[in-house]
Amino acid sequence: MNEILKFENVNYFYQTKDDEIFAIDNLSFNVLENEFVSIVGPSGCGKTTILSLIAGLLSPSSGKVMLDGSTKIDRRKIGYMFQRDMLFDWRSVWKNITLGLELKKEDVKKKLELAEELLKKYNLYNFKNKKPSSLSGGMRQRVALIRTLVLEPRLLLLDEPFSALDYQTRLNLCDDVYDIIKKEKKTAILVTHDIAEAISMSDKIIVLSSRPARVKDEITLNLAGKTPLKKRDDDSFRGYFEKIWGELTNEEKNN
Amino acid sequence: MKKKITNFSLAHKKYVKKLKKDKFLVIFFRIFVLVAFLGLWELLTYTKALDPFFVSSPSRIIKQLESMISSGTLFHHTFVTLYETLIGFLIATVLGYLIAVGLWWNEKVRKVFEPYIVVLNSLPKIALGPIIILWVGAGTNAIILMCVLICIVITTMSMLSAFLNCDEGKILLLKSMNANKFQILWKLILPASMKDFISVLKINVGMSFVGSIMGEYLTSKAGLGYLIVYGGQIFKIDLVMSATFILCILAYLLYAIVSLIEKKYRN
Repeated sequence: MNEILKFENVNYFYQTKDDEIFAIDNLSFNVLENEFVSIVGPSGCGKTTILSLIAGLLSPSSGKVMLDGSTKIDRRKIGYMFQRDMLFDWRSVWKNITLGLELKKEDVKKKLELAEELLKKYNLYNFKNKKPSSLSGGMRQRVALIRTLVLEPRLLLLDEPFSALDYQTRLNLCDDVYDIIKKEKKTAILVTHDIAEAISMSDKIIVLSSRPARVKDEITLNLAGKTPLKKRDDDSFRGYFEKIWGELTNEEKNN
Repeated sequence: MKKKITNFSLAHKKYVKKLKKDKFLVIFFRIFVLVAFLGLWELLTYTKALDPFFVSSPSRIIKQLESMISSGTLFHHTFVTLYETLIGFLIATVLGYLIAVGLWWNEKVRKVFEPYIVVLNSLPKIALGPIIILWVGAGTNAIILMCVLICIVITTMSMLSAFLNCDEGKILLLKSMNANKFQILWKLILPASMKDFISVLKINVGMSFVGSIMGEYLTSKAGLGYLIVYGGQIFKIDLVMSATFILCILAYLLYAIVSLIEKKYRN
């Protein structure tokens, strides 16, 4: 399979007036096409920094971040989904979904059709002209996901997109999002501190150390073909969970 | 989606009835306070408990207004003040807003001008009165300039802080969608700060009247501020009170227009 993303010995320092924070330490990994990769690590280890590097919002202090083999990152290939839904209250659901299209100058007719289709497919078509304030938390995140998918990104970045939701909504939305991503044949990187969520969604998990972030372990999962909710009942789920839990606890003890 | 309920329970009817009753009471007492105030004023001056020479009285104000309406002077003075206020209001709001956009756009320029804006904000603008008159001459221009000076700094400061308070996450979202700075301004910063803009409008309605009346105190041949100063000088308190009364109505009308804009925007 094709390699979409490659980190090659990436280092990153945050500069402040009195300090230089070493956030990313010689990080190398890759992500293949159609793969769902999760990045887990202790809180504050620099997970969001990694996503910002991928999205081209930050540039590495040294090393290479390559998207489709190029270090010059084309932001149009990337869809970023945030912890909060970031919907604009003053725009209708439809206007929110087509926000990214408004910013482009190319012909977007085909993508508008895709937007309509996605809304219908994920039961939001009746809310097309409503304001986001009349939607539930789960629906809002689904709208945010569609807003991202409409731009047809090659690579989806998910920054703890479920953490602001209640438990039940969260599990259901995990299933939905997983389903959507697999159906639309997207490559995705999920950043989370929820181990169970990572195991239930991913093909591969990258475990990071605490700051500065290094790759501590890379685990390929053998749970394909089940929904995230079903995976939680799988016999091997517990084994994976304990392995990652052990690694993270170990990491926190050492600090 | 939820169905709309059409057959309400008794409890709901009771609740609606109570709401209506409460609303009625508020309106009733609002009018009551006004009538009681005016009535008491009239009564105390009629019985000479208070000297109408110093405090005037509702009936004398009405008489004064009647004579000014029949001579046409009332409309003239009202129009002059309204004109100065509206022009000052518009110039200050538009210019202040544009300056705020400029300062948002360029962080370095913003940092350079920050202390100057703070000083201008704390400076009592009336202190500039003599300079204004020397520079633009006595009369309408000086009054409008005073009005602009009073409103513009607060407009710029309020709007700038509204722009800077915009959700960083949303800016990041637009950046991740490859938006340029102008698009971030146009699609996010300006619509997100609409609420703050409406409150700036509301503040400016009041402030622009302060500006025009203060300007008329300094230099004028007509206007409600002129009537107030003139009436004070010749001890004609009826004139002062009448002009103040008209000013109350004008200020309320302008505020009501802004509220109407606000409602329209919300829908």
